[in-house]
Amino acid sequence: MLPASLDEAVDALAAAPAAVPVAGATDLMEAVNAGRLRPAALVGLGRITELRGWRYEDGGTAVLGAGLTHARMDRPDFAALIPALADAARTAGPPQVRNVGTLGGNIVTAAPAGDTLPVLAALEATVTLARAGASREVPVSHLLTGLDPVRPGELLTWVRVPLLHAPQVFLKATGRSGPARATASVALVLDPARRAVRCAVGAVAPVPLRPLEAEAWVAGCIDWDGSREIDPAAGAAFGEYVAAACVPDNYGAEGAWEAVTEGPTAAAVRLRRTVSVLARRALGRALK
Amino acid sequence: MTTDPIETLDADPLGLAPQVSRELRPCASYTLRVNGFERPVTDAWIGESLLYVLRERLGLAGAKDGCEQGECGACSVQVDGQLVAGCLVPAALAADSEINTVEGLSAGGAASDVQQALAASGAVQCGYCTPGMAMAVHDLLQRNHRPTEVEARQALCGNLCRCTGYRGVLAAVQTVADARALEAEEAERAAAAAAEEAAAEASAEAGAPVAAEPSAVETEPVIEPPVYADAEAWIEHVPQQPSAPEQDQVQVQATVEQPYGDGGYDTGVYDTSALTAMQPGIPAQVADDQVYYQPQGYPEQPYQATPAHGTYVPAGYPDGHQQQNGYDTGYDAPVYEPTPAHGTPLPGALHDGTPPHGTPYPDPHGAPADGGAPAGVPTTGVPHGATPAHGIRLPEDDHAS
Ligand SMILES: Cc1cc2nc3c(=O)[nH]c(=O)nc-3n(C[C@H](O)[C@H](O)[C@H](O)COP(=O)(O)OP(=O)(O)OC[C@H]3O[C@@H](n4cnc5c(N)ncnc54)[C@H](O)[C@@H]3O)c2cc1C
Ligand code: FES
Ligand code: FES
Repeated sequence: MLPASLDEAVDALAAAPAAVPVAGATDLMEAVNAGRLRPAALVGLGRITELRGWRYEDGGTAVLGAGLTHARMDRPDFAALIPALADAARTAGPPQVRNVGTLGGNIVTAAPAGDTLPVLAALEATVTLARAGASREVPVSHLLTGLDPVRPGELLTWVRVPLLHAPQVFLKATGRSGPARATASVALVLDPARRAVRCAVGAVAPVPLRPLEAEAWVAGCIDWDGSREIDPAAGAAFGEYVAAACVPDNYGAEGAWEAVTEGPTAAAVRLRRTVSVLARRALGRALK
Repeated sequence: MTTDPIETLDADPLGLAPQVSRELRPCASYTLRVNGFERPVTDAWIGESLLYVLRERLGLAGAKDGCEQGECGACSVQVDGQLVAGCLVPAALAADSEINTVEGLSAGGAASDVQQALAASGAVQCGYCTPGMAMAVHDLLQRNHRPTEVEARQALCGNLCRCTGYRGVLAAVQTVADARALEAEEAERAAAAAAEEAAAEASAEAGAPVAAEPSAVETEPVIEPPVYADAEAWIEHVPQQPSAPEQDQVQVQATVEQPYGDGGYDTGVYDTSALTAMQPGIPAQVADDQVYYQPQGYPEQPYQATPAHGTYVPAGYPDGHQQQNGYDTGYDAPVYEPTPAHGTPLPGALHDGTPPHGTPYPDPHGAPADGGAPAGVPTTGVPHGATPAHGIRLPEDDHAS
């Protein structure tokens, strides 16, 4: 079924609660082809044109449609608005996948390596969930951590993102030079109005992590009114701080017996090095 | 619903199909528009991918199934003008979309320019990735008429090829882009000439009515049916004609060559010893002077052995080499000149010769190669101002190191 408007879509979902909403189908069909999912019915969201663009709201907020594709977010007009999200969309898979894969699908799938997720976490985005006759607003972090999950029959419609008009960076480490999922990713945004640095680390845990202490510390090291420069040593320390906060000592350990060994595991050491380099570079690029 | 699944079992008298109820296997009927044709699909499970429906239900086996996970690109097709992985499109939801497959590229059975270029540039070995690659190259060149190598690599990064190493594909992209640019230029020029002529004619007519001939000069381009490049390679071999037909040779020719017919795929030499074992009527390989392979048919001096690098060949080879089994290798002029040492300026050349290693450049070249970046900034291989690909180090990364 291919409803042409949001109202039709939520009505269709209310009528058939077992139906699966389908946006770009890149995650969905992967599961169907692998035999992990047998949908009872499909509700295609591809014809809902209102969800495929964005609009502005008072108070410096952009309201992004859940149906924005990665390819669309990679275009220069969008990149000028929310550069980190554009950077994330640019690396989210091969062109064949980015042409149809959507922001909404990426959030609802909530894969650990979902590339838009650390960006949305760093931007402290909120999402709108709509069902027939009602809608509610949920912070993206509550959605991702399962504190307030998507309920059956609900559609993710809008993503509210503040427009910060300041440098933002998304960096991703992968296993190969072609398109691949992240082994670690870092999103870092500057919020000059609040004199804050917000950072989120993706792919190292089931949900994106916010190293809040490291953020607060590094924000204090920046000369906000001047050239916004930072001592290279402070940048390097920020990287280490972020890595230590996000990668636990027993990372990659198989069982509890390994967790009690002294010092971090080899996997933790490796991953911390990756995360610290990403965080240091992200800060360096944001403050250049 | 409380329907008993047993009652709704698919009718299957032989009991061969797995017994699945309609409730567990919801089906749909729809019509797909593929390459401009309406193709009905009846009673298909809603979870079937476009790739599956194209291949198994509609008999369009051009798109290949490499992984069913969106990783390999062998199934690439266009849906509403966008390149997508066919294996990740639910076919039932593509019902009112315009679908283009690789079969649509070769209208009338003739390969498209992209397909010919791929074949000609060695971008095809096993060929499994080729339909997807052809779709991706078409898609790229539709959107970007002059892609740079980086743009081409980025556009093709979702198409995996385990055989060729992608160089041939990149070469094919450039070949087609160049050819199309040339064509467009020519068409433009022809149009301009036609317009000029029409204007001249009009003014001439306005002055004095001349016998206005329809200008048959600029005509439609002659459309030649394109040929696969590999077909060319095979046909260029001339069938062997034994110059002094001996009986058994004729017999061999008759037995062996017939299946291919005249001018067919003649591979030249047949190993008759193997044939004799299978078919007693065929004589074994005979003495050297009676070889089937009659080199007399070749044109004069078709082949010149390449001398070693740096060898100066004064005049012809020593006598012993002059006549060798039919090949005339009589050289009488020097062919190669030894390569000069590094640093030697070539007499008539444009360049001054490569300076020896370590020579500093006399003056730093003004504009850096990529044009945009200000001097002093190391080029990163990306247009200045754009976010570089991941993994590229920027100078400011080191501010914080
Ligand atoms: C080869 C390949 C490489 C990939 N690489 C990356 C990568 O590098 N980084 C990355 O982040 N992702 C990657 N992905 C994953 C995928 O492309 C993204 O997660 C994409 O954003 C999913 O969007 P979609 O529109 O295709 O979602 P769909 O597959 O359509 O939907 C996914 C799930 O979300 C639900 N859903 C979708 N939209 C809504 C909505 N509006 N409301 C409620 N529920 C909804 C669906 O019911 C389904 O359960 C890759 C996928 C493939 C196949
Ligand atoms: S079969 Fe579709 S991408 Fe591999
Ligand atoms: S030619 Fe064999 S995979 Fe590309």
